[in-house]
Amino acid sequence: MLPKNMGPLLAVYKKELLEVSRDRKTLMFMLVLPLVLIPLLMQLTVDFVADANKKAATETLSYAVFGADNLPGVEAALAQAEGFERVSLSSEDAVPAALADEEIKLALVVPPPLGDSQQTIVELHYDNASVTSRVQARTRAFLDDFGESVRADRLTALGVTTFSDQAALIKPVVMVERGTASVREKLGEVAGGLLPYMVIPFCFLGALYPAIDLGAGEKERGTLETLLLAPVSRLQLVLGKFLVVFTTGLVSATLSLVAIGGWVVLEGVKIAGELGEVVGSIGTLDLALVWLMLVPTTAMFSAVLLSISIYAKSFKEAQSFAAPFNMLCILPAVAAMLPGVTLSWGWALVPVSNISLAIKELLKGTMDYTMLVAILGSSTVIAAALLVFCTRWFSRESVLFRQ
Amino acid sequence: MLEVQRLVKVFKQPKKKGKLAGGSPDPRDRGRSFYALDDVSFSAPGGKITGLLGPNGAGKTTLLQVLSTSLQPTSGGVKVDGIDIVREPLLVRRRIGFLSGNTGLYGRLTPRELLQYFGRLHGMARATLDSRIDELAETLDMHNYMDKRCDALSTGMKQKVNIGRTLVHDPDVIVFDEPTTGLDVPAAEAIVALVERCRDEGKTVIVSTHNMHEVARVCDHVVLIHQGKLRFSGSVDQMRSESECDTLDQAFLTLMHAEVIDAA
Repeated sequence: MLPKNMGPLLAVYKKELLEVSRDRKTLMFMLVLPLVLIPLLMQLTVDFVADANKKAATETLSYAVFGADNLPGVEAALAQAEGFERVSLSSEDAVPAALADEEIKLALVVPPPLGDSQQTIVELHYDNASVTSRVQARTRAFLDDFGESVRADRLTALGVTTFSDQAALIKPVVMVERGTASVREKLGEVAGGLLPYMVIPFCFLGALYPAIDLGAGEKERGTLETLLLAPVSRLQLVLGKFLVVFTTGLVSATLSLVAIGGWVVLEGVKIAGELGEVVGSIGTLDLALVWLMLVPTTAMFSAVLLSISIYAKSFKEAQSFAAPFNMLCILPAVAAMLPGVTLSWGWALVPVSNISLAIKELLKGTMDYTMLVAILGSSTVIAAALLVFCTRWFSRESVLFRQ
Repeated sequence: MLEVQRLVKVFKQPKKKGKLAGGSPDPRDRGRSFYALDDVSFSAPGGKITGLLGPNGAGKTTLLQVLSTSLQPTSGGVKVDGIDIVREPLLVRRRIGFLSGNTGLYGRLTPRELLQYFGRLHGMARATLDSRIDELAETLDMHNYMDKRCDALSTGMKQKVNIGRTLVHDPDVIVFDEPTTGLDVPAAEAIVALVERCRDEGKTVIVSTHNMHEVARVCDHVVLIHQGKLRFSGSVDQMRSESECDTLDQAFLTLMHAEVIDAA
């Protein structure tokens, strides 16, 4: 399929690349967006979550309590508990308004015990709409501690005096988990599902504007006819153009990976705990393999975008044709997030989905490398078929001179 | 020398719905087929200027697109210096230069880069190309803006760059498609001078135009098509005498409705 004389193809490639490199819109999508947007988004997300958690865990919870007499000792324990501050309200009816005005964060209402029951019910009133709120968890922790001390007193009164006897009575059987999944596997499942969303769109975004410019742009500017008049086969023209679109898409996708890798090295390592361990365990080889899979993906997107662009009569029409295709790129990536979907020989043949699933496996550290060959093979075959379609498409008068 | 023999170009068109009884008034419209060119024959000799005339929508642009190998003929043949455009399109393209009033430029390239690009596509060696570009910059007086981006140039400057692009590979046959449309007087004059210079250099020149003043001034031979068919082929004087009209405008209107010339 490749032409014998590569001179004209290289001339087209060099010229188109020069023009693309002088287009601000393309540079924005190809260079600035992945290098700036990705680290910024990752940093903001981590900072926001960390700040919200820290605030929720340490803020002083102002509370009101009613019916404390029904649970002896709770009033004193609350007064001594760290991070709780009592506020006096006129009556129980004032609780909803006080919560709405944020005068109090919670109210505890202890109704009288039912009959002879020794069990006390404590109602917690709070704003449960907030996702980051720790009111419920912190109150539960306090009441659990308080309940334990009440229980210990009661067991002692019943003659069960030692701590171990009390523990054996309360929980005669204890289950200890010994899961086979490593921490990396568990967190890789989550992070690996997210990574394709960050990387795959850049294969598309980086290729989008050059593709539109190189096809529909030629028609709109009135340069297509002069180009078709050059003594160069349509195959050389379309291959030259395809390679430019492919280059910009791949540069964008590569930069998005570099941005992720760079952020992990500079900032990610500062993350404490299990997530930090997972981030640290992602090696250069994993990222290199992810990159390798992005190559045929970018080729597929480039061939389709160029075909769309050549068919369109104007820049605007090409943009409107490309918009639904954007969804088509994202939908197969969503498959990797669905519960129960794992990389199998069947999924390995589904374009884009296979790459999303493989990225997840790589991050989990459970990649079956023979499957990688199937993914790369099938994606390359599909990309080549789309490129053949694109070159044939470019030879049709009804496409080039569409009325 | 350019020879057109019984040229037919048919476009497929979508089936029309709700067409009125009596059908389309355009004889080219035949069901799913549209005969943009129907049995057109003429020849354009070297060292002469052939004017291609016809009202809007006559099929002139389609004819020029076939001549320049952008479109494939449905039947019939075109030969450029004896080379068949269907069998050897790449060889033919090396010999043809095409300039249209609507032709655009690559705005983010400079005129020098643009000329280098088209020169390379024509397979020109670097040294030959560089000296050819210098020569064109000199002839067309483009030195002052050879390294400015095309986007920043005036309409007249852009037209000169376009002329340079058309001539960079020194073609034997030059096709001008309404080259002076929308240009001011100095820019249009420059084009007319270029057309005449190409003729003087022995090249085959074809000019499609609506401007009868230009036809009278520069054309040696005239080809008139209307509704895809050849209506007249001959000299400017023959055009006047055959139509029995004093002015070319009147002659054009008369011959437009003349009997179709039988290509056979």
